[in-house]
Amino acid sequence: METAFFELRGISKYFAKVVANKDVSFSIRRGEVLALLGENGAGKSTVMKILYGLYRADEGQIFKDGKEVKIQSPKDAMKLGISMIQQHFSLVPAHTVTENIILGNVGGVIDQKLYQEEIKKLAGVYGFNVNPNDYVRDLEVGVQQKVEILKALYQKASLLIMDEPTAVLTPQEAQNLMEFIRNFAAQGNAVIFITHKLKEVMSVADRIIVMRAGKVCGDVKRSETNEVELSKLMIGKDLEQVRRDELKAKPAQKPRLIIEKVTLEEQTGVPALKNISLAVGQGEILGIAGVSGNGQQELCEIICGAQFPSSGRILLDGEDITNKDIRARIEAGIGYVPADRSRDGMVMEMSIAENMLLKSSFDKKWQNRGFIDQRKLNAYTQEQIKEYSIKTPSTEAMVRGLSGGNQQKVILAREVDNGEKVIIFDQPTRGLDLGAVNHIHKVILKERAKGKSIVLVSTELSEIFALSDKIAVLYKGEIQGIFEPAELTTEKIGLLMAGFKIGEVREDAS
Amino acid sequence: MVNLLSRTIMMGTPLLFGALAEVIAERAGTMVTAIEGIFLIGAWAGFVGSFLSGSLTIGFLTAILSGILVAALYGWICIYLKQHQVVTGTAINILAVGLCAFLYRVIFGVPITPLTVNPLPTIPIPLLSKIPIIGEILFEQNILTYIIYLLAPLAYFLLYKTSLGLTVRSAGENPEAVDVAGINVYLVRFLTVLLAGAMGGVAGAFYSIGFLGMFATNIIGGRGWIAFAICFLGNWNPKGAVAGTLAFGFAEAIAIYMQSIGANSFFPNELFIAIPYIMTIVLTISRKSFNVPAKLGIPYVKENY
Repeated sequence: METAFFELRGISKYFAKVVANKDVSFSIRRGEVLALLGENGAGKSTVMKILYGLYRADEGQIFKDGKEVKIQSPKDAMKLGISMIQQHFSLVPAHTVTENIILGNVGGVIDQKLYQEEIKKLAGVYGFNVNPNDYVRDLEVGVQQKVEILKALYQKASLLIMDEPTAVLTPQEAQNLMEFIRNFAAQGNAVIFITHKLKEVMSVADRIIVMRAGKVCGDVKRSETNEVELSKLMIGKDLEQVRRDELKAKPAQKPRLIIEKVTLEEQTGVPALKNISLAVGQGEILGIAGVSGNGQQELCEIICGAQFPSSGRILLDGEDITNKDIRARIEAGIGYVPADRSRDGMVMEMSIAENMLLKSSFDKKWQNRGFIDQRKLNAYTQEQIKEYSIKTPSTEAMVRGLSGGNQQKVILAREVDNGEKVIIFDQPTRGLDLGAVNHIHKVILKERAKGKSIVLVSTELSEIFALSDKIAVLYKGEIQGIFEPAELTTEKIGLLMAGFKIGEVREDAS
Repeated sequence: MVNLLSRTIMMGTPLLFGALAEVIAERAGTMVTAIEGIFLIGAWAGFVGSFLSGSLTIGFLTAILSGILVAALYGWICIYLKQHQVVTGTAINILAVGLCAFLYRVIFGVPITPLTVNPLPTIPIPLLSKIPIIGEILFEQNILTYIIYLLAPLAYFLLYKTSLGLTVRSAGENPEAVDVAGINVYLVRFLTVLLAGAMGGVAGAFYSIGFLGMFATNIIGGRGWIAFAICFLGNWNPKGAVAGTLAFGFAEAIAIYMQSIGANSFFPNELFIAIPYIMTIVLTISRKSFNVPAKLGIPYVKENY
């Protein structure tokens, strides 16, 4: 049998009390594309960071071409031809493409011209449209990824590890990436990519390693498996798909939240939102699709009152709330589940109960002669913990100690209560495991059934399609169009997300 | 006037030492808020070293060594133990004042007349110092001023034209990128802080044995903070640091000049000293684009699960 290019044998890694990896063993051959599939927190990134030398394994060995190697730092890994692209890119925004690529790879005085030429040539070989003089901060995410790939190619990597590479890409960009991965592997290199998306796995991987709870629980050839089997391996049980209630075709409700020609100008003068008009009816879910960073967060903040539009109006039940501040809008019944929960959604060092009253602390219902009514608050929190099945030892537990899914449930519980009329969900399931995703989808549909108006921002198209009554596509702060889900295909929405207008899409996607 | 400008250059020398030290360390991501203390300890150690040995060279070496020691303490606490930089720096600055006063008395008691050493001599550069006006201003200075003439462009070159500088700047912009490239972020930052300590030590000693020839506990009087401010004023760039230093140096020279002609009896001396500070505030408010290192002052914590 052919010796493996790289082999991991019995890798274990412990963080404090948590077992991140337990006895992980698998191998990869030259020319192979390997998918590392698993839910968030399954230990995929950790084991790859061990292979790349960012972490050190507590137990186990690594072999290259049958010989044991010691990888103490990324430097060692690079010498062995390993390169890894992190999920959150590790580029320096204030530096040029060239400076980013040569960081740590060259010595002495920097000959800008020489390196720029080299990088241009390298980019040409792979058909990447990257200008070595551009500053990384000016580049779109898709291009930044190409810079990361070029960095790996510049290091002459023969094993490329990519952590969730398609998370930030449009479907078309993702397709191009997949093509690159296949070509790169065909040249006698190897690629390991970490993902939780089954579709990608089926389209590009030769072999699939499934991880669950830090262990390898499946090592299968793509030709011998299917998506259903993989998802079972991944979550360890059958997944009940969330289905929208069948009362889908509700009679047209009168719109409750209306956004009229809203423009938001940044300090630099560039509009973050351009002339946006949207309407959300009662009991309706408006899905906002788009690649992240195209104005989603600004849109949400305009609605919840964290930012005020430069022009345009916002109406809630016919009342103009454009100039009302956040607190007035909370009182008016607008709830907001922000995308970055640790930054905008909660205070990590406070207890669940305290986080529960975070946005309504001024409300009389929590007060008892000017003090917080602890008993009432605890009772309420206890109730919510039960209703949302939040896994926690007590209402006094610090939210930092909770898992991502349980933290999200805390915010959800609070915002569903705050949002008596409108709830904004910005990426409500990002980074959560399938079980938690399921739960959150159910909550969203339940609130819809209660007649609330829901704005759902997501970069996961499957989520948008599964839940939305209407879909709006955002690109560079503009609405590309509002559609019925049935009007759109993945391909069509992908082109809209990439900035093509509807006319162009018809031609391209037909 | 020539005298005034010559004085500007001289008074600017230690400030530029300190400002460059700060620029280098801050480019890599660490604010050396202990700079005032490092100046003071440098001044003290420089004086003690030269007084006891009778050699200014040994005095400066002692100053460098003690500057590095203080910086090592600061760097260890802020970089490796990841403690708050402002708090740590403030503590060290307070410690430095007490320590210097105490150790000075331990060694010398309370002398009736202040102890002195001969300060650095002025060395006119042959030929260059003969150039009218410019020669007198630029080339009739002491050795440290000549060193800083070389050091400032060298710092710029190293920071912006070499891979070493790229690594240093990247450590302040996005330490993760440095880590992923297989370079030890902590070490890069620690070494820049040590370098800052060495330079700060020299700067401090300049005040005690560079031109005064004596030591007093109030000898630095906030000049470490001026160096700190110059780094901001100069937009974290050696070029800007030079410009900022000249502004502060000029103000200080004027203040000393006014005092020497007795003008402070009718014109408040403090006003001149205050001008650069006011300038710093005005510039800070009015400036549109800051080139501040993105991760300045934030300890690097390797993401751990």
